[in-house]
Amino acid sequence: MKKLFRPYLAILLAGSLTLAVSACGGGDDPKPIVEEQEEITTVQISLVPEGKGQNVTATFSDPDGVGGADPVVDALNLAPNTVYKGTITLKDESKTPVEDMTAEVKTEGDEHELFFNVTGANLTVTKTDLDSNNRPIGLEATFETAATSSGTLRVTLKHQPNLKGATSDITKGETDVQVDFPVVIQ
Amino acid sequence: MLLPALLLLAAQPLLAQAPPDTNAPTGAEQNCGLTISGKVLDHDSRAPLVGATVYITQLGKATVADEAGNYHFHDLCQGTYTLKVTYVGYQQEDFTYKLTSSVTRNLQLHSDTHLLQAVEVTGAHLKDEAQASQTLSGRQLEETRGLSLAESLAGLAGVSSLQTGPTIAKPVIHGLHSNRVLLLNNGVRQEGQQWGTEHAPEIDPFVATEMKVIKGAAGVRYGADAIGGVVIIEPKALPDSAAGISGELNLLGTTNNRQGAISATAEGTVPNLPLLSWRLQGTLKKAGNARTPDYYMQNTGFNERNFSAAFGYHKQNYGAELFYSQFNTKLGILSASHIGNITDIENAIARGKPFGADTVQFTYDINRPYQDIRHDLLKAKVYLNTGDIGKLSFTYGFQNDVRDEYDVHNVESGHPAMHLAISTQTTETIWEHKPVGNFTGSAGINTIYQNNTWLYSDFLPFYTSFNPGIFALEKWRKDRLQLEGGIRYDYKHVQVKDLVENTYVEKHKYDYQHVSGTVGAMYDVGYHLTLGLNAASAWRAPGVNELFSDGVHHASGIYEIGDEHLLIEKAYNFEASAQYFGSPRFSGQFSVYNNYINNYIYLAPTQTFTLSPKGAFPTFKYKQVDAIFRGFDLSLQYKLLDELTLESKTTIVRARNTGTGEWLVGIPADSYDNSLRYEFGNDDSSGLWGKSYFSVGGQYVAAQTRYPTQTDQDYALPPDAYFLLHAEAGTTLHLGKQPLEVGITGNNLLNTAYRDYLNRFRYYTDDLGRMLLFRVKVPLTFTRN
Repeated sequence: MKKLFRPYLAILLAGSLTLAVSACGGGDDPKPIVEEQEEITTVQISLVPEGKGQNVTATFSDPDGVGGADPVVDALNLAPNTVYKGTITLKDESKTPVEDMTAEVKTEGDEHELFFNVTGANLTVTKTDLDSNNRPIGLEATFETAATSSGTLRVTLKHQPNLKGATSDITKGETDVQVDFPVVIQ
Repeated sequence: MLLPALLLLAAQPLLAQAPPDTNAPTGAEQNCGLTISGKVLDHDSRAPLVGATVYITQLGKATVADEAGNYHFHDLCQGTYTLKVTYVGYQQEDFTYKLTSSVTRNLQLHSDTHLLQAVEVTGAHLKDEAQASQTLSGRQLEETRGLSLAESLAGLAGVSSLQTGPTIAKPVIHGLHSNRVLLLNNGVRQEGQQWGTEHAPEIDPFVATEMKVIKGAAGVRYGADAIGGVVIIEPKALPDSAAGISGELNLLGTTNNRQGAISATAEGTVPNLPLLSWRLQGTLKKAGNARTPDYYMQNTGFNERNFSAAFGYHKQNYGAELFYSQFNTKLGILSASHIGNITDIENAIARGKPFGADTVQFTYDINRPYQDIRHDLLKAKVYLNTGDIGKLSFTYGFQNDVRDEYDVHNVESGHPAMHLAISTQTTETIWEHKPVGNFTGSAGINTIYQNNTWLYSDFLPFYTSFNPGIFALEKWRKDRLQLEGGIRYDYKHVQVKDLVENTYVEKHKYDYQHVSGTVGAMYDVGYHLTLGLNAASAWRAPGVNELFSDGVHHASGIYEIGDEHLLIEKAYNFEASAQYFGSPRFSGQFSVYNNYINNYIYLAPTQTFTLSPKGAFPTFKYKQVDAIFRGFDLSLQYKLLDELTLESKTTIVRARNTGTGEWLVGIPADSYDNSLRYEFGNDDSSGLWGKSYFSVGGQYVAAQTRYPTQTDQDYALPPDAYFLLHAEAGTTLHLGKQPLEVGITGNNLLNTAYRDYLNRFRYYTDDLGRMLLFRVKVPLTFTRN
């Protein structure tokens, strides 16, 4: 009985181990991702006052994307009772050279919209640019300040493919950008 | 325990049905020396039915057919007598004869297909392990055709379905799923990216003629990581006789998502080599947008293209099998679920239904986001039966799983946002030894080798793993008692190549090893009742996603951080079960369990946020705690009348984090399903209508009131309780010699708007509205030698 059993067992065991061991090759190493997805890492607000006053620039930047190093954000230091002409610039700083993504959002203006929400500060933001359907985009806007105050400005960019229209608002679509700038008006 | 007592009480009327005394007085008048005799035979095969009971109702006399199927009654008077013939697995039949002289009458019985199926479903006497298990086969399986694997299994007590919208479903056993549930597809453990809650099993349910669920930790026999249980998907055995070519055609159509499916099988033996058998099988499925009671869900269509081929060579003492299958699917993902951050989820919850839902039209088109998956399986098995030592078998499996996930970004590039490819080679060598005294058992060696790679996204690192295991299981059976025990040792080596900051590769090595065991006892109290006790352990190494995640999980809007110092997770499952079976009127199965999980790995909220240009993501980290899963499953069948059966299923699970005392998140709510089935017609193939049934029932799912409250782990409260009405009807039509099985299943007949706690898209949309599934099954015979 044992005589019969041994050769079969040996063959089966050997077969099983050979298959398993021969498979232990290891394989390749992961290669860096060349064609990385475009991602907005940087939001810049540039303000030019109507009349006298200083130009203001504030940047929210997180070049390594979500996670890793924390993002860096500047405060918006504004003068009271002033009207600024504002432009928003969106960039992908994870790429070399840095990629400007503002034009892309503008081109696809009929499915993107920026929203500006102010808390605390006496600041009113009014969008001035329009998409092909005459809906606001928000890459250009006027920033109007009143009395001295401080607070936060939240800039949100919504991607609303086939959703943007008369009834779309900040709660619709997918968030591409949502950043908070401290605002100081003095 | 109360239940066994109840079961015994229910058994009383049956015991009273025992055959009456054959010496009962008979009318002793004129010509009372007549004899009626003959054979009890199977109607189709003409085989004698040894041990069939023949009972003369007028006289209260009974006899049992002998070894040749012969029965006889002597000393009967002239008159009219009804012979009631019963035999296990056959329909009871009455034969009425007017007796004027001694006669020979053969009594033919029809096999009761339903009863046989019922035996398979709750079959205590086919049960060979103490651990609770349930099988889906026969009519019950047919009723689920058109549903996904997980949705089919969710009809069993103790099993639920974890959904990601209407297209993705995973089986949940006793509250556990994904990496903790092992799927054995045709004898090979299914290996894809099963860690992901939105990654459905890549298996065509049409291949299965039987799906068995082993509930609770079952690490020894099936693989160490079976912490929650095992799902065994078995295809039909290959044909073993020269019966020519036969086949089966399944057609399916549904309302709601307007699914159409066709599945065809052909099988036979090779004319000059009758021991060589083959089967070819293929399935095509296509479905469009699914609908809630009030609106279509945009981009929820799917399609599936599957085929398989099997070859077998079977001699009495040796044989071989070769099997290949390919599974392809493209699954649409609800557009509204594509979110950028947690604010988007909160907006969706506040909105109540997807924005613009009322204008969504029906379409079969699938746009981004979607998943495209291909799974290949090649299996080769050889076995050797030697009378002296038992049975030896060796199985090799090769699987390749390619998963492409497309989102709505970077559409111009045409490539997916994530591409994962995992190949797996498994071997299994098993020796089932010849019974020695009262012992039966087996021992074996398994190996698993895996290689995982990605493109476009490094959410999961490259890795290879090698996992050998060795086990032995023994059973000792004497009279009514069966004792079983088993032990297993596994070692797992994992090599990870992690791309850090998209610049350099870091290599890590991990080694895990542990022993698992099982002990069980089963006692057959009487013909109708079996009691079982089982203790089993299982363990699993932390998954590579649990060690290495570092990024936003876009489906849930959270930032997930892995922990490479995680330890192995160990489960100890204790279970008691009672099976009542054998009476044609009442059967039931009850099991109560406690599954202690030591170092249970879960995503714990850190109560902090990861800031990014896309907003603030709640940060979750993989952690380990001790947890306990307990609950019970109950399934009952009670025949109110011969034709009318009440079926009842109950699933109760409780799961706690024993460290904090908090309930665990995402545990199935209490579920009760009751239905009434009416059967009519018979299996006689002479008429147009064969055996038919109609059933109507309801499922009540309670609101989950046990969820974590001390820490935020969910964005919305569990949804309300709901009740769904369902009905099924089926019959066999005989068109000449061609039988045709037709059936209709109706789900959510009242078109109730509801959301299920275990549907991950409950934040965005209601669940499916009313759906009718129409199916036709045509058994085919092409040639007859």
